[in-house]
Amino acid sequence: MLIITRKKGESFMIGDDIEITVSKIEDGSVKIGIIAPKDISILRKELYKDVEEENKHAMDNIDLNLLKNIKKTK
Amino acid sequence: MIFESKIHGDIQYEEKDIITFNKGLLGFDNLKKFFLVDLVEMEPFKLLHSLENHDIGMIVISPYDFFKDYEIKLNDSTVKNLDIKSENEVKVINTVTLNSDPKKITTNLQGPIIINNSNSLGQQIIVDNLKYQIRQPLVKE
Repeated sequence: MLIITRKKGESFMIGDDIEITVSKIEDGSVKIGIIAPKDISILRKELYKDVEEENKHAMDNIDLNLLKNIKKTK
Repeated sequence: MIFESKIHGDIQYEEKDIITFNKGLLGFDNLKKFFLVDLVEMEPFKLLHSLENHDIGMIVISPYDFFKDYEIKLNDSTVKNLDIKSENEVKVINTVTLNSDPKKITTNLQGPIIINNSNSLGQQIIVDNLKYQIRQPLVKE
């Protein structure tokens, strides 16, 4: 992993067309500005982790009988 | 062809039923081939079964059977990856997480699976929309 130090207002580039700027530093949080091409998806990592976790849960203990219950309640 | 599933017994499938996920599912990069199985008498639920692992499958739904207003926007990279030329080709499904309490059965509206029916390519995407939840109960209280 590359670690670089930036001050408020400073930027760095990833490749030719992704620019990351540190816009605000406050109380242990950093506000970051990102300029990137439209086809690059930018998501908080927690969201990835959550969806990965949920995929695991969805693969666990598949008991098709449980679906019958949901029909009855409808 | 017959696939021996540990979840649903022997399942008949054809080559054309195979959906290829070039990137795998999130957290499961190694699982690239799945097929969709109709669950008789359990409609509208279906089973998305791994072709590469006899134990792995997920219950899925069409979101529109439960959430009529569900709406997602595909970004350019998804359209490109799946080679989508028209919205008519697109199928959306969402995974279901089972629970012995029906009220706790949920579906993942934030991580839908997009399938291009024309070329059988699939990809799981993440929807960054606070309206939709990863664990959305299927049954209303």
